[in-house]
Amino acid sequence: MNRGNSRLRNGLLDLLTILLLGLVLLPIIWVFVASIRPDADIMSRSLIPMQITFDHFAEIFSRGDFLVALRNSLIVGGLVAVCTVLIAVPAAYSLSRFTYHGRDFIGFLILATQMLPAVAVLVPLVVIIRSLGLANTLTALTVTHLALGLPIAVWMLKGYIDAVPRELEEAAVIDGSSQLGAMVRITLPLIRPAVVAVGTFAFVLSWGEFLLALALITSTEVKTLPLALQTLFDPYSFSWGVVMAGGVVIAAPTVLLFLLFRNQLVGGLTAGGIKG
Amino acid sequence: MSTTAQVHVPRAFGKAALPYALVAPAILVALGIAVLPPLYALWLSFQDWYLLRNPQPVWGGLVNFQALLTDGALWRAFWRTWIWTLGTVAVEIALALPLALLLNRDTTVARLASALILLPWVMPFIVLGYGWRFLLDSEVGVLHALLQFFGIAGNSSILNDPNLALAVITFISGWKGMPFMVLALLAALKSIPDELYEAAAIDGAGPWQRFVSITLPSIQNTMLIIGLVLGILAFYSFDLPWIMARGGPQDATTILGITMFKAVFTDLRPAYAAAISVVMLVILAAASFLTLKLGRRP
Repeated sequence: MNRGNSRLRNGLLDLLTILLLGLVLLPIIWVFVASIRPDADIMSRSLIPMQITFDHFAEIFSRGDFLVALRNSLIVGGLVAVCTVLIAVPAAYSLSRFTYHGRDFIGFLILATQMLPAVAVLVPLVVIIRSLGLANTLTALTVTHLALGLPIAVWMLKGYIDAVPRELEEAAVIDGSSQLGAMVRITLPLIRPAVVAVGTFAFVLSWGEFLLALALITSTEVKTLPLALQTLFDPYSFSWGVVMAGGVVIAAPTVLLFLLFRNQLVGGLTAGGIKG
Repeated sequence: MSTTAQVHVPRAFGKAALPYALVAPAILVALGIAVLPPLYALWLSFQDWYLLRNPQPVWGGLVNFQALLTDGALWRAFWRTWIWTLGTVAVEIALALPLALLLNRDTTVARLASALILLPWVMPFIVLGYGWRFLLDSEVGVLHALLQFFGIAGNSSILNDPNLALAVITFISGWKGMPFMVLALLAALKSIPDELYEAAAIDGAGPWQRFVSITLPSIQNTMLIIGLVLGILAFYSFDLPWIMARGGPQDATTILGITMFKAVFTDLRPAYAAAISVVMLVILAAASFLTLKLGRRP
């Protein structure tokens, strides 16, 4: 009797969970649904789509400014991902494997970068970048976006390297390998999933970043996707369907990352990564 | 002899320098993004630099900080930012606590739901901002129709209502941050031993009593620390109020981040904006210190 009771109770609570989850995620579901509805269908305000169309996607992908922004976002995101990995792996290895003067402080300094909101350093960053003549360049965007994912990357990778037994590397060193050689040949392959996760994570953070792009970029040739979405939202002639399709393009890599690397992501979030 | 010594010295030095060399690029990024800009902001905040009057900064002493004290709009934004921050954290806790309690069960649905609930947290602001604008739009918005039905919204979207815009965007801000609180609360809830509940049930404690005397004390520390972290994030918001309302209508959603942004890009007063940054950094330092202190407490 008790078991049947608790099963019924769990079933009801599951139902409630699904209902509440649908409500919480409604704004996101709505974006995806609206991107495949004809504008007339959207205007009808009906809850259930009557017609399905991919015209909105066809339209944004035929717009020159959107394609340029897509290319820019891919370039910046790709560079940020690669550079984050190239900087974070050696840094994490250094913090994990060596004992040296100032190590704890260096670790803290890198983590503190994560705690610093972009708004708090925006003004000096913009002035510095302008005086370097780098305003309106993808270089400026790439360099500043590095700070978004690097601290979490270092700390996540450090955790993974900590878990790799030192003895494996020591054996390779005895066999005549240098310590760096041992890192590249022994440790790196073992933490490869984490490296891929960290790179993807850095890509996605750069892909959706808005404030720095807004502050540093004004000319159309170097705009990234979040800025291009703003342009799609032309107050005099715009289609909600097209804006939502643009939103889906920006959201897609995030959702994909989320499905692929959920466990690492949750680990990263709870390890002190707090940037949204 | 001397030759071997010469060979050994660089090798020993190389060995000592290796860990520093490996971590150096990461330090460079941290210095360039997190150390240099705040110091530069401090220097800038003592300059007199109004782009329409003098294109080059000149030493102005405390001129920006004096202007800051008498800037009525800035003070209104400052208090509005506190309302925004406290409101965001309140919404986050109010949404996250029941959800975490509901998800703290060992069923397939609960496990799947605790993964999907993270979506608002990981989605970019620009997508969510336009999604909510779509829901609240006076012509096509489903939520607007609902609000209109209940008489909360008139014919125009509540985003155009100076009295309600801040409330609704604060709610959205809390909705976006809520998953992080759910995640933290779930971890805290899972660490409560089942024996405590069993013992309480034997002693005849009802569900409410168990919640107040076991659950709440076990998660209040997590709630406090994560609330502080999320509060710091909310205090430095920019994206959501900018994307949804550009700080309007009539400055109703202009929080400090937006005031600062407008000081540089609309009013062309970078040094004044730097002074605002310095004040914000001081508040951040105090809040982070408090969070660390509380986090170390057992």
